[in-house]
Amino acid sequence: MIAYFRTVFTAAWALLQGMAITLKYLFKPSITIHYPTEKLVPYEKFRGALLFDAETCISCNLCVKACPSACIQLENATNPQTKKKIAKVDWYSIDFGKCNFCRLCEEVCPTKPKAVWHSLDYEVVFYTRDEMVRCWKAGINYIGKYWNRKEKIFKDPEGQISIQEVHSRR
Amino acid sequence: MTASGSGQAPPPKKVIPDPVFNEKNGRLLKDTRYWPTEVWANPWASPAYRRGAMLLIGIIGAIFATGWMIGELAPLGDTLYQLIASVASAGGLPQTATEATWIMIKALIILHVVLINGLWAVWWERKISAHIQSRVGPTYAGGFHGWAQTILDGIKLLLKEDITPAVADKWVHALAPAIVVVPVIIAFAPVSFGSQLAAADIDVGVLYIFAFAGISVIGVVMGGWASGNKYSLLGGLRATAQLVSYELPRGFSVVPVIMFSGSLDLSVIAHAQAGYWLGFIPKWFIFYPLVGQLAFIIFLIASVAETNRTPFDIPEAESELVSGFHTEYSGMKWSMFFLTEYGYVLLACFLLATFFLGGGAAPLPGLEIIPSWIWMLGKAMAMMFVFLWVRWTFPRFRADQLMDFNWKFLLPWSFANIAFAAAALLYLS
Repeated sequence: MIAYFRTVFTAAWALLQGMAITLKYLFKPSITIHYPTEKLVPYEKFRGALLFDAETCISCNLCVKACPSACIQLENATNPQTKKKIAKVDWYSIDFGKCNFCRLCEEVCPTKPKAVWHSLDYEVVFYTRDEMVRCWKAGINYIGKYWNRKEKIFKDPEGQISIQEVHSRR
Repeated sequence: MTASGSGQAPPPKKVIPDPVFNEKNGRLLKDTRYWPTEVWANPWASPAYRRGAMLLIGIIGAIFATGWMIGELAPLGDTLYQLIASVASAGGLPQTATEATWIMIKALIILHVVLINGLWAVWWERKISAHIQSRVGPTYAGGFHGWAQTILDGIKLLLKEDITPAVADKWVHALAPAIVVVPVIIAFAPVSFGSQLAAADIDVGVLYIFAFAGISVIGVVMGGWASGNKYSLLGGLRATAQLVSYELPRGFSVVPVIMFSGSLDLSVIAHAQAGYWLGFIPKWFIFYPLVGQLAFIIFLIASVAETNRTPFDIPEAESELVSGFHTEYSGMKWSMFFLTEYGYVLLACFLLATFFLGGGAAPLPGLEIIPSWIWMLGKAMAMMFVFLWVRWTFPRFRADQLMDFNWKFLLPWSFANIAFAAAALLYLS
């Protein structure tokens, strides 16, 4: 008899405790980020879209060799007088259609600061297939341009929105 | 994009405090590890939280305004009745024509109570479920806290394809939603929305409501059978077992109320609870020691079970049967089942408010200035909040546990409650 009522009251108390918890959470502010209008900045080690700095790059080909999905291509710049290769990059391209965001290219990059590095941008979005192949030359900013095959010009990527203005580089 | 210099200082690391444990039993007292505690440290600092508080005030204000509107529009009914009667007498029509027109108008109003309640309750349930789970629910539709979400969902459901499975029994499949939804509208007839505000003054109102509410289960079984789907059939069978079982404690828990008030008429039951003990405790049945609380809890639990909502939703258990008896329904047929569910929730809320919370009576002596229809609607909405709260707190019963709980706990205690009420009536009055 006593055991029966004890069971009933423990069960009822447990139910009331559960209801108290849900009521507490009902009046707590929600942790939802309203995504298109509010954006979270990811943590430091987040591997977002790749950025490239043509001024820093010494054209050593290490990133091309390190890339497991072979998405990076580059070509050395040459000295116009001597026609010899110099430690500068003529053009550099990353195919984001192939890239698997593994950070191996950034890890092998010997320059300091890194010439190729992951930003914190997670909105790697492409409107056209051309946009997947980003190209860099001297004078093009970190986010790169893509070759528009219809209009035969380099254009800024339209899909990707930059969340952070300044990206941390190691 | 601005170029950044090399060697930037890394952003300062967040210091996350260690979780606090009880030294003796190792129970977690304060979990700090995974929760974004900085969001919750000072909630009033965030504008979203202040907007949420404004929403709460808005909801209470809207309930108040709706109740006030019901009260203001109720006298217009008499004018309308006079108008219809004068038109009928001028046209030389008999008295029954007036009555028939008047009953049709009242039926239309009751139908719209059910429909508008569907719009409101779905939105409210989505908001409450979202906030219980630290989400926000519908936000964009309509601009203000997604108020138009249900309207747009209704339009979407109207435009959806109405699918009848190839193996379905077509007539029964099409008839089932109608059989489900009609009794809930009929059952609303004797519900009093305030003093002197009921579509029909029926002397056996309680019996009438329970009788009609029991018919819906036939539609559920029909839907389950006619879909030609094993999940649906299982859902229909489970619904039968559950609803028929829970009818019993639901009916018996109201018997003490009927014994104390001496009537089956809802307005008489509500009126019997007027007045105060010691000048401030209202004479509501929920405040009758032991008997009232027991009857209230049993009626609440049985009502939740009758509406097939989560602790008792084995007929439409999502993880076991895909969605039970309405797996094979789409579009408006499907939404008929949902309309019925919310209609029964509202019915149960009004019944709870009438039986146990004094109907339109004010909770404190000074508050009679606020008219009875506002109190009635406010109590019903508070009860609806309890329904949603229970729904989003508890996990589902297993089928055998559900039956055990009904037959071994609720039913004996509702019988015992009748005995307690009889003893109280015999020895205390």
